[in-house]
Amino acid sequence: MLQNSKVSNPLISARGLTRSYGTTHALDGIDVALGLGTAVAIMGPSGSGKSTLLHALAGIELPDSGTVTLNLPGQGPIQVEQLKDAARTKLRREAFGFVFQSGLLIPELTAEENVAMALMINGVPRGAAIARAVDALQQLGLAGMEQRRIGQLSGGQSQRVAIARAQVTGASVVFADEPTGALDSVTGTEVLDTLLRCTVGAGKTLVMVTHDRQVAARCDRVLTLHDGKITADDALVEGHRS
Amino acid sequence: MNILHMAWLLGRPTSASRTPQLLTVGAYTMVSAMVLIVLGGAWSFTKLDGEAQSFYVPLAAFALVLLIVPLLVLGSSAAKLSARAQDRALSSLRLLGATGFQVRAVAVTQAAVTALVGALAGVLLYLALAPAVALVPFQGQPIGTGIFLPAGAAALAVLAVVLLSVISALAGLRKLVITPLAVATRRVAPVPSWLRAVITVGSIVVLYSLFTNVGLLPVDLGVLIAIIIGGFALGLLALNLIGPWLVAKVGKSKLNKANNAEQLLAARMILESPVAAWRQVSGVAMASFVAVIGGTGAAMFGFGEAQATGTWEDYLGTDVLTGVLVTLGLALICVAISAAISQCAGTLDREELYSGLGKLGMDLAVINAARVKSLMIPALTVAIGFAVASVVLVLPFASLALLMKPLTVGTVLVVLVAGLLMIRVSLNIADPRRLLPAGSRRD
Repeated sequence: MLQNSKVSNPLISARGLTRSYGTTHALDGIDVALGLGTAVAIMGPSGSGKSTLLHALAGIELPDSGTVTLNLPGQGPIQVEQLKDAARTKLRREAFGFVFQSGLLIPELTAEENVAMALMINGVPRGAAIARAVDALQQLGLAGMEQRRIGQLSGGQSQRVAIARAQVTGASVVFADEPTGALDSVTGTEVLDTLLRCTVGAGKTLVMVTHDRQVAARCDRVLTLHDGKITADDALVEGHRS
Repeated sequence: MNILHMAWLLGRPTSASRTPQLLTVGAYTMVSAMVLIVLGGAWSFTKLDGEAQSFYVPLAAFALVLLIVPLLVLGSSAAKLSARAQDRALSSLRLLGATGFQVRAVAVTQAAVTALVGALAGVLLYLALAPAVALVPFQGQPIGTGIFLPAGAAALAVLAVVLLSVISALAGLRKLVITPLAVATRRVAPVPSWLRAVITVGSIVVLYSLFTNVGLLPVDLGVLIAIIIGGFALGLLALNLIGPWLVAKVGKSKLNKANNAEQLLAARMILESPVAAWRQVSGVAMASFVAVIGGTGAAMFGFGEAQATGTWEDYLGTDVLTGVLVTLGLALICVAISAAISQCAGTLDREELYSGLGKLGMDLAVINAARVKSLMIPALTVAIGFAVASVVLVLPFASLALLMKPLTVGTVLVVLVAGLLMIRVSLNIADPRRLLPAGSRRD
């Protein structure tokens, strides 16, 4: 059952998105609307267009055709596909947070510096940025590990640093691409708990690409893609997250 | 499958390996052309009159000795880039059951073949540049056809470059751990600070005693020059111990003062490995040393030029200055190329991270600026630090030279500054916005 019609005042809405690589249609006329404060999983087999959809919604990639509209609280609508490269980069930096499978943490920096970097890039002075980063890390159970380099952290701890970085700027939307894909099941569950608590638990939107049905089952809504088309759009029942 | 076959299968050019391979071949082309030009210059001195020859040939040998360190660093950077570019393939070989020895043999064979191609291209470059170099005057007249080495000597130089690549590859690979899963950098235990201090202080004491008493030694010019070269080698050892310490001190100071993303990242990049940062700019330290000592020497020799005696000594000041400028220029070119190559290797190594950070909204210009700073901060520190140290070493002579021959001192300093600018410009080649394929840095 398609849920788009039930999303009033969508935070992000996409219409008629298409994207091709050669003769492959990664996105083939996608219409989707995502509300504030919800967790949406994007599922589908390899090559179905999951990551391309996430990239198009986040302004990482431009669609060949179609529109992506962002309605941030207190701001007018933004047509993401019409923004130039630099403006899209700024939008991602300021309005979105990201958690990828590989963490994408800078190995030379400590945990707190990796988190603070997201703020410093936006012009926050180092002292203030570090203070907020330490606070964010401590809230995620990483107290005492702020000064550790990334190589000195476990996979689960590294992902929690990445989550802290994604939410320290106060982003309304967090995009996650297989955030637990490289972790064992126990650590994966802990990281997912943390991610959900920091995002939907704090009234933010989480858009997550995953292969794992158990991970998807913790979300409010599951989009299933096949050959660049949404073939299922299922809302999960209340209370499923626990 | 034998080593050569494996080397060919892994080393043949593909779209992904083209950039690192071209950079590596280009590096060896430059190394070979520079070695051949310096050897050509030294060769031309063998045709001078007896007394002049006994002075000029050792000086040319001295210039060659000075160039060995930057050339070795350049060769090592090229070999490491070559191995890094093949890391997945080398790991796969281990996974397929190849022994560590076989994998190293493949990597070394590839480095040797790459160096051979580069060296042969270097011969062509040398031949192309020779007419211009032939115009450089020594003893009042252009070098002329004297710059052309005999074919046998040129072939030996090519072999020496290939040998250099093999030594550099072995040295570089010693620091890499090639496992079936990945290629990682081996952590080498640093020299303890007390040992560093003992060797440095010991070297300074020996050098000071040597150079203050060298005039009293009852030896002829050849032995004197050999003593000076030996003293210089000891000085290099001391430099190699002080250098990383100095770079680490500056890195820590920059880290404490960093107030934006770019400064923080640059300081952390330096502190990641002060030894590696030092190695990249050690040629600059040498260039600074040559600039001050050589520039002062050229000015001192030039004092007598006003009273022409009609002998070969009339040209000493001018010729020493020419030699200093050529050595300085070549050393700085080596640093510029090796810095560019090692930064390219670093950028290619971090392709996934950098493209991912671009997706996150981190402007790659910030990463690029931090990367440039991580090299230029040590380069400028070392250039200024070692220039000041060298001035202190020859203070009375340096001040006299500046007063009497300001143009000579000025020329040397201009070349040094131009060399530093060249190093800065060369780093643009490793800009992730240019170097990484458009698809991977999609932002």
